This record gives sequence, C-alpha cells and structure tokens, in this order.
Amino acid sequence: MLSAVLEQTLNGLMAGSVYVLVALGMVLIYGVMHVLNFAHGVLLMVGAYVCHFFFVRLTGSYPLSILLSAAVLALLGIALERAVFRPLQGNLRNQVIASLGLILVFENLVIALWGPNALQMKVAATAALVPLGEMRFSVQHLLVIAVTLAVVLVLFSFLKFSKFGTAIRATSQDRMAAMVVGIPVERVDWITFGLGTALAALGGALIGPLFIVFPQMGDAPMVKGLAGILLGGMGSVPGAVIGGFIIGIAESVSTVFLPTDYRDSVAFIVMVLILLVWPRGIFGVSVRGED
Amino acid sequence: MARIVLGIFLVLLSLMPAMAEKQPYLLHVLILCFLYAIPAVGLNLMLGYAGLVSLGHMAFAGVGAYTAAVLMVDGHWDFWLALLAGVLAAGVAGAAIGAICLRFRTHFFMIVTLAFGLMLYSVMNNWDEVTRGAAGFPGIPRPAPLGGFSFGPLPNFYYLALAAALAAFAVQWIVVRSDFGRVLAALRQDERLAQAKGVNTMLYKAAVFALGSAIAGLGGVLHVSFLRVAAPATFNLAESINAVLIVIVGGAGSLAGPALGALVFVGLPEYLRAAAEWRLVVFGVILVLIVLFAPQGLAGFVKRARA
Amino acid sequence: MSAAVLEVSDLGASYGGRRILESVSLRVGASEIVTVIGHNGAGKSTLLKSVFNLIPWRSGAIRLQGRDILGLAPDRILAAGIAYVPQSRSVFPKLTVDENLRMGGYLLSDKALLAARIEKVRQLFPVLAERAHQLAGTLSGGEQRMLEIARALLMDPKLVMLDEPSIGLAPRMVEAVFQTVGMLRNQGKAVLMVEQNVRKALAASDRAYVMELGEIRLEDAAPALIGDPRVARLYMGRR
Repeated sequence: MLSAVLEQTLNGLMAGSVYVLVALGMVLIYGVMHVLNFAHGVLLMVGAYVCHFFFVRLTGSYPLSILLSAAVLALLGIALERAVFRPLQGNLRNQVIASLGLILVFENLVIALWGPNALQMKVAATAALVPLGEMRFSVQHLLVIAVTLAVVLVLFSFLKFSKFGTAIRATSQDRMAAMVVGIPVERVDWITFGLGTALAALGGALIGPLFIVFPQMGDAPMVKGLAGILLGGMGSVPGAVIGGFIIGIAESVSTVFLPTDYRDSVAFIVMVLILLVWPRGIFGVSVRGED
Repeated sequence: MARIVLGIFLVLLSLMPAMAEKQPYLLHVLILCFLYAIPAVGLNLMLGYAGLVSLGHMAFAGVGAYTAAVLMVDGHWDFWLALLAGVLAAGVAGAAIGAICLRFRTHFFMIVTLAFGLMLYSVMNNWDEVTRGAAGFPGIPRPAPLGGFSFGPLPNFYYLALAAALAAFAVQWIVVRSDFGRVLAALRQDERLAQAKGVNTMLYKAAVFALGSAIAGLGGVLHVSFLRVAAPATFNLAESINAVLIVIVGGAGSLAGPALGALVFVGLPEYLRAAAEWRLVVFGVILVLIVLFAPQGLAGFVKRARA
Repeated sequence: MSAAVLEVSDLGASYGGRRILESVSLRVGASEIVTVIGHNGAGKSTLLKSVFNLIPWRSGAIRLQGRDILGLAPDRILAAGIAYVPQSRSVFPKLTVDENLRMGGYLLSDKALLAARIEKVRQLFPVLAERAHQLAGTLSGGEQRMLEIARALLMDPKLVMLDEPSIGLAPRMVEAVFQTVGMLRNQGKAVLMVEQNVRKALAASDRAYVMELGEIRLEDAAPALIGDPRVARLYMGRR
C-alpha cells in the first residue's frame, strides 16, 4: 500500500511536471495580457509533433529536437499574439472564442499533416529503467521531472532578478503603470506569449517518448494545468507550479484508492471545489475586478 | 421581405424529402444540421442574448439524452414521455448547475462551466452500470409511431427533426420578444444598472441557463434516437466547443444565427471540395476570421447585405 | 517670461467618439508650478493623458522645449523629458520599493547612471530608503504616492505631470505632497498638476488655469486666483 502510494507519487510528479509547464505558460500570458488561452494544450500537442518531426525525420538528436520544437512554437506563439490576440485586446469573450477556434485549427491541421493515428517516439537513450527501491522508473520519467524543476528555477530567477523579468511582473500587476514608467508593454506581451508557448512545447516534447504522440494529447494537460492554476490562485506564478504538481500527485495517488476511470475526474472536482470554497487559491491572488 | 424568404425556405425544407427522394445522404446531412441547430438555439439564448459563455453546454444535452435512454431501454418508457423527461432533466440540471456557475464572472464562469461539463462527461463515460460507459448506450429506439405515422424511415424522422428545430426556434423567437428577453438584453448591456432597478439578475440568468439546457436536452434526446446509440463522445468538451463555434459563426444574438451556424458547421464540411482533412482547418480559420473581422457572424453579413 | 518647457496649443481630444477637449492652449515655464483646476469631468485628467499620448484621438500641437512631441509614443515622451503620475494608484504592489524605482528607470541602459539616480531619489525621499525591500503594496497611501513621484524622477524629466496628487490622502500627507511639489521645483523641474484641492494647490503653485467643459476659462498667477471671486464661488465653498 505505502509503496504503491510512493510509486504513484513519483508518477504524479511526472504527470504534474507537464501540468506545471502548461500552467506556467497559461498563467504568464493571463497575467500580462489577461487572455485565457484555451488553445494552450493544443500548442503542447503541436510541440510534441514538431519535436517528433525533428527527432525522427531530421536530426536524430532528442535534446536538439526539444530545443528546436520550443523555438518553433515560440515563433508560432508570437505570430498568434500578433495576428489574433493583440487585435482582440480588451475583448475577453472574443479572445476566448478565438482560442477555441485555434483548437479546431491546430488539432485538424495536425490530423491533415500527420494523420489521425498516434505516432511513436522512441528515445533509446532515456528508455532504460532505473531501480528506485522496489520500483523501476525509466530515465525519461526522471528526465521530465528534472527538466521541469530546472525550467522552473531558471524562469523564477529570470522573473525575479532580470530587468525584463521584473518588467513582466510589473506589467501583469498594473499595465497602465507599466506604460507610465516606459515599459514597452507590447513587447512584454509578445515575448511572454512566445515564452508561454515554448514552455507548452517543452511539455509536449518531454512526454512524447513516455506515451504516444496523438492529436488530442494536449486536451487533458490543458484542463489539468488550468485546475493547477486555480488551485494556486489565478494569476500566481508560484501558485501555478505548486498547483500543477498537487493535481498531478492527487490524481495519481487517487488510483490507489479509486478505480482508474475516475483519475481524470479528480482535477475537475478540484477545480469546482476550489472555485466554490476557496476562489483565491493557495496564494490568495485577487484578480483585477473579477470574483 | 424577410418573411417571404423565410416562407420560401420553410416550404423548401418541408418538400425536401420528396425532392431528395434519391439522395438519402442529403436528408441525413440536413437532419444532422437540425440536431446541431437545436442545442445551438439553447446556447444562443444564453450566450447571444444573456452574454453567458458556457463551455459545457453539450453535457446538458447529454443529461437529457442519457435520461431518456435509461428510461426507454431500462424503464420501458414510451419515447414521448422519455423525451419530455429528458428535456426536464436537462433543464433541472441546468438550473442547479447554472445557479452555481452564475456565482462567477468572465473567465471564471467559463472555467466552472467547463469543469462541470467535464464532470458530467466523466459520469457518462464511467458510470458503466447506468450509462454503459465509454462504449456507448446501444439499442435506443426511434420514436414510437404517432397516429400511425412511423418515424423509422429517414424522411419521416426528417420531419420530426425539422419540427423539433422549428419548435426550438419558435421558443427562441417568443423568449426574445417577451419581457423576459428584454430584461436579458438589459442585463447584457449593463448588469449593475439592471440590478439598481431592482431586477433579480441572478434569477433571470439561472432561468435562461435552465431554458438553454432544456433545449439542449431536446437536441440530445433526438440525436441519440437518430443514431440509435448514445455515446459519451457526442457530449464531450470538443462538442461543447463546437456548439459555441456554431453560435458565433452563425451570429450570436441573432434569431437565425444557430440555423446558419449549424448549416455551415455540418453542411459546409460535408460539401467542401477540399481534401477531407482540411475541412475543419478551414472552418477553424473562418471562425477566427469571423471573430476578428465580423463579430456579428454570418447573420451580420446577411443583415448588412440587405441594408 | 522664461522659455516654455511645455507648450500646448489648440489641443483637442476625443474619447470613444466623445469630444473631451476643445482647443486647449497652455504653457509651463522652466521651474514653474502650474495647476489646472476645474470641476469633475472638465477634462483635466484627459489633458494630462493627451500630453502623454494615452488618448487615441488628438489634434493640435504639443511642444517640449520647442520640439513637437504630439506623435511620440509614451515611452518616447518619457525619454524626451516628461514624466506622468496618474491619478489612480500606480505603484507595482507586489514589487519591492527598490524594484519599483528600478522600473522607473526602465529606459536607462546605463546601470551606473540608474544606481546614481536611485541613490539621489533615496536622499530626497528617505522613507523609501528605509523601506527599500518592502513590497510597495504594503506602504501607506501617502508613502505610495511619494514612491510614484520618486519613481517619476528616475528619467530626470524636465516636466512632471501630477494627476490629483493629494486625492485620498490623510491631511498630514496632503501637506507633505504639496511640499514635495515645491521640492520638485527646487530640483529644477517644471510641474503641471491637476487638483481638486483648489486652495492648497493654488497656494503651492506659481500659475493656474481654470478649465470648464473641455476649455480653458481663466488663466492667472496663482495668488491672484486664490482671491478671485469667480474661483471662490466655483470651488472654495466645496472644500
């Protein structure tokens, strides 16, 4: 029993890592632009396909493919910010609806280009199993967690200590004040959007070898990343990290006690409960005029 | 002018089974159009007229569909009674869940409706004893004959779907023109002002949430009766998103919007000449373009073309 | 008459299709404190926002030391020498006081220069030095207002525009704010401010304009306006 819980905790950390990467991107974009991008999960999926393409078709190097995928998706994110989200600035409803349209576009674009069937992405180097006590985990498993933790660390240092990172925080706290002190808010917008989509691509590239790459693979991470964001407090960046990990661990550990069918429901239930009982989440963020 | 066009359109639709005798596929597509248009009418009342963007709308259609399915197959209820029960169940679920969701605004409202939609879907998908789970609920009967008129054959079911769609549009027309509809419009314009005038805004919004969900339930019951099987995937997040897209593309807050949207969403992909895989991509791009450049949707184009 | 730091001529502005400013002309001389007074909705805030290019539709001319700045983006206007402190709270609440000051110098790429300016501002506002590592949101209302003004000095502007600097502050802090305005003049800054607290604002100012319905109605030396019966009738009774 205990070992099962431990094993599932590690599994949950892995799944949670992906939710954290999605949640970080969504929460950064939400903070700066006040856009809730429901297409973020689809961008994770596109990132996985792009990584697969570079890895299997072109380079054969997994680390290089991850980087290239993040770069391509950053460019895609910047393009979307320019073409879709910036023109709709201030129109919350239309931004959300446009992001729903983008889900349709990218999911079907991927089906058109790669077909509806799942792809395999076997990375020999990270497929080896590592014994941990009585359990064995693949190197890829641990890689996902390690890379996510490293990314979180780098991102936090960037936001905390760099001038531009501070400007990102400043813009998300008060956009008008940011303009008044001369922060180029539009540049903050597109860089944040590109950063956010690159993080999603990273998530997709990292889980590709663990599971399979398929057109709907981003749907669950988007919803669960969102649950993590709510749990952490809508708009809080550290909250998104902690919330994402908690959702991942909670749903994995739930499989020890509940039928696995209900694994996915954990996140939905957490979402509703948090909103009803504790709408400000762990980090108690009040969001501009919203209940 | 508009009435003449509408009249011609209705005559054409009612003559369709006779005209398209040799083309069952055309009837099939039109029936699907009706079945998508009905929940879209419900969502249009919520989204277009009351400004409530629900991302879980089709889950309520599922509540209606599964209620009717269980009553018909396990409870041996008559189709028409089961239909009524399904519509009521969807409406009650809409009122109850709507009352909770309406405590939230803007993004948070959307997220809660999304979460409830996913929860309802999860129940349909996993409560194997009642809903038969992910494999779907088989053996749902076509409607019982009414006065000797059987709904088994495609043209006959076509008339049922057409009648139901017309009924939904009629309800929409009545609601929008009623005092209730005028209060909703006032709410959408300026909720604080409406509140200051003593309107119980919560009650009105919950009522439109319930009504919209009940209409979705009607569509859901007919949909599974048409397919003879209820599958959770018919009521998942993707379908809820599609419902929003239908309403937006058609023109949120316009009477004909859901019909135009469903026609484009179901009909256009079926007849687009482009390769099959690219149809939905094109549709998604059209949608984003509409949001960017024509927020009134297709109904807005029609209106402008006439003006 | 000294050379004008700011010269606004025939400025018109519309917002959401509504005309808010009609042909406004005013000037602020070097090291001069100029106040604009008027009822709510007279267009005073819009005037400052228009100078800082935060209003989408404007006409006329705005010159900073003779240079036309009407078409410049806000960050370019700031770099050219006009700082703006809006009426609503504008500190970054979850940044420290120090981080707020550093954001005030966002456009400075010279780190040594930024450090020197922050040091200078800390001397002018010792309380900000004491609270350097505190989150700005935890400061009192008056301290936040000081931080906003201090932050506006980081780009070493020639003109500081203050929108209702005393609004919502305790009486003691109101005094402090107007003293600070005087100090800005001692630092060689010109000040253009908009105020509801007419008596105190006029006492602290060199010259003043009275605005009504988007137009300038009166212009005179501040001491003269304090005694002007028209101003008294319009505003004094209310305070």
